[in-house]
Amino acid sequence: MDKIVVKELDLFYGEQQALNSINIAMKERSVTALIGPSGCGKSTFLRTLNRMQDLTPGVKIIGQVKIDGQDIYAADTDVVLLRKKVGMVFQHPNPFPKSVFENVAYGPRIHGETDKKKLSEIVETSLKDAALWNEVKDRLHESALGLSGGQQQRLCIARLLAVGPEILLMDEPTSALDPISTMKIEELIAELKDKYTIIIVTHNMHQASRVSDRTAFFLSGDLIEEDITSVLFTRPAKKKTEDYISGRFG
Amino acid sequence: MPTRQKFDHELEDLRLKILTLGKMAEQQIALAVNSLMNQDLELANSIVVKDLELNDLRADIEETCILLIATQQPFARDLRKLVAGFKISIYLERMGDLAVDLAKVSIRIGQEKLIKPLVDIPRMSGIVQEMIRIGLKAYVDEDCGAAAEMSLMDDEIDKIYSGVFGELKSIMMENPNNVTQANYLLFASRFLERLGDYCTNIAEEIVYICNGKRMDLNE
Amino acid sequence: MKAHQANRFASILLWIGAVAILALLVAFLALILGRGLPYLTAEFFSGSDGVRGQLFNSFYILFLSLIFSLPIGLGAGIYMAEYAPQNRFTDLIRLSTESLASVPSIVFGLFGMIVFVNMFGLGFTILGGSATLALLNLPILVRVTEESLRAVPRSYREASLALGATMWQTLRKVILPTALPGLITGITLVAGRALGETAILIFTAGMNVSRILFDVNPLAAGETLAVHLFAVKSNPLPGTNSDQIADGTAALLILMVIVFNLCLSIPSRWLQYRLQGKNRG
Repeated sequence: MDKIVVKELDLFYGEQQALNSINIAMKERSVTALIGPSGCGKSTFLRTLNRMQDLTPGVKIIGQVKIDGQDIYAADTDVVLLRKKVGMVFQHPNPFPKSVFENVAYGPRIHGETDKKKLSEIVETSLKDAALWNEVKDRLHESALGLSGGQQQRLCIARLLAVGPEILLMDEPTSALDPISTMKIEELIAELKDKYTIIIVTHNMHQASRVSDRTAFFLSGDLIEEDITSVLFTRPAKKKTEDYISGRFG
Repeated sequence: MPTRQKFDHELEDLRLKILTLGKMAEQQIALAVNSLMNQDLELANSIVVKDLELNDLRADIEETCILLIATQQPFARDLRKLVAGFKISIYLERMGDLAVDLAKVSIRIGQEKLIKPLVDIPRMSGIVQEMIRIGLKAYVDEDCGAAAEMSLMDDEIDKIYSGVFGELKSIMMENPNNVTQANYLLFASRFLERLGDYCTNIAEEIVYICNGKRMDLNE
Repeated sequence: MKAHQANRFASILLWIGAVAILALLVAFLALILGRGLPYLTAEFFSGSDGVRGQLFNSFYILFLSLIFSLPIGLGAGIYMAEYAPQNRFTDLIRLSTESLASVPSIVFGLFGMIVFVNMFGLGFTILGGSATLALLNLPILVRVTEESLRAVPRSYREASLALGATMWQTLRKVILPTALPGLITGITLVAGRALGETAILIFTAGMNVSRILFDVNPLAAGETLAVHLFAVKSNPLPGTNSDQIADGTAALLILMVIVFNLCLSIPSRWLQYRLQGKNRG
């Protein structure tokens, strides 16, 4: 079933158009990778899905983004609820300067959970789901900034899972990590796929080919090609895609 | 500005090596059939020795492919070129092995008088060599049309083979003394028939390089 | 080789600069404390000319001025850092705070005297003094608040907002706690300045001490330690050992500022280490 359906989406920064009439659908419980050179619009597109792009001044968005059939740009959309449902992991691990526990408990707390026991349960489950529990269970009350980069990124994923999202947006989640941490995150993505719909922006094409079911190639604000990952990487239909993925650009 | 020049050069080197291997295989086949026709044992023996060079070159190509896949991590056409090139080199090496088998047939027959004038075997060999030449050109040009056409020539080989089969069978039935040599000749034509199939396989790889599609041209 | 020499030369120069600062502070403390400490006896505080009233007034005025300036200063700073759009209006506000910050304190003093002492007819009062002091500190507070908040990485805001937090939740639970060490530094700076301020207070809080000890009436006159030092030194009363009183007061003033700074900055450092995760090992 299609979880996200995007129709004729245009995005402008002031006068400049950054996304040109994007049409794409993403299936429930699958991983879609967005690839393309810097400035192609893939991150911008990702941020339209939880309306983080709205935070940038001067942005104008035309078109439709439907999640579970609801247009998230409709006037009656509750952005808080939307972002609870559509979580985001960023390029650089950004845990708060708080303890590991407080980081994960942050989301549930702002959404009104006060029960100590429940919070502990949520923290434990989320850390387990993010494959971090064993590494941090003895230091839950130490600062999260003392963790390694890879652990911090998994903590950010745990923090996200704690609010109970359905869709996970990942904006180059491993570009600041070493290869081992990167592999751990990729493994994690493969596991999370069973429960969540995942959309990942990555500069690493091999990562895209490893973790995703479908891949979409963006170039200068256009969605050039979108296909099953194995097809896109072995026999892309478009010359531009071929040139990009085989590293022969311009 | 063109990117990945180093990789492009390496791909070009790989292509030249495969081309060399192809030419060597073609020559081995031609010589093997010559040795059979002229009952030239010296030539036949030299073919067996020469085959070692083909094996070495094939190993070298394999090494290059593995290295390029590991270091360049190719996608799309580059990936297809490497995978197909790798398989083509294997087919060519096997064709070299069949040339050795042909040479061994001529060693076995030795100076024994031929039971019949050899007409069909050189004809089949001629077609196989033509297929290899067209195939190598199609590989260099990445011309899947030419490759597909080349594969059609295999039908002619198959036809000749079934004719030879019938002819040799009746020779064997006529005179049991001829059975041994007739069998050797039957082997030889069978080897040539196999060579035609390998050419068809190579044509399939060329089509795969061009459009990423797997096609069975052996029909 | 030339670059190498230049590098050495610069290192030495910068080292000298740093050491000079340290030497200056040590010399300064040694002189002031050496001269003043011997006079800091019980008599000095509670005798007939004791300074306990001034000591109390210093902190009382500081306290009141912070009560006036903190809400406005923090509020404006937070607004400028988090909510205000970048436009001409906010540029104007920023320019105004910078101009205000560079106004000499004596001018603030005269302004306070005209407004509070004369226009409102309050006379010399603790209230007038702290209100004027608050005006002096306001621009710095705004500036410090804005800068400490801006120093909080954007990624924290994004993380919080992406989890569905509102701007206000993000501010309260993530940005302010993270900016706290910076804010405390700013407040320390402002408070230190307030404790040592004389020009403003001479014109607004006056040079008298209430006869009632620890008079919390904000409408009483309130001479602070710094003003007392100025008064004693500039206009020595006959029959008193004004030099000794001045030396003692100076030493007390220094001690007071140092202790006050430590009281704020040690917890702030601790907090910062805890936040940064450097409390391990």
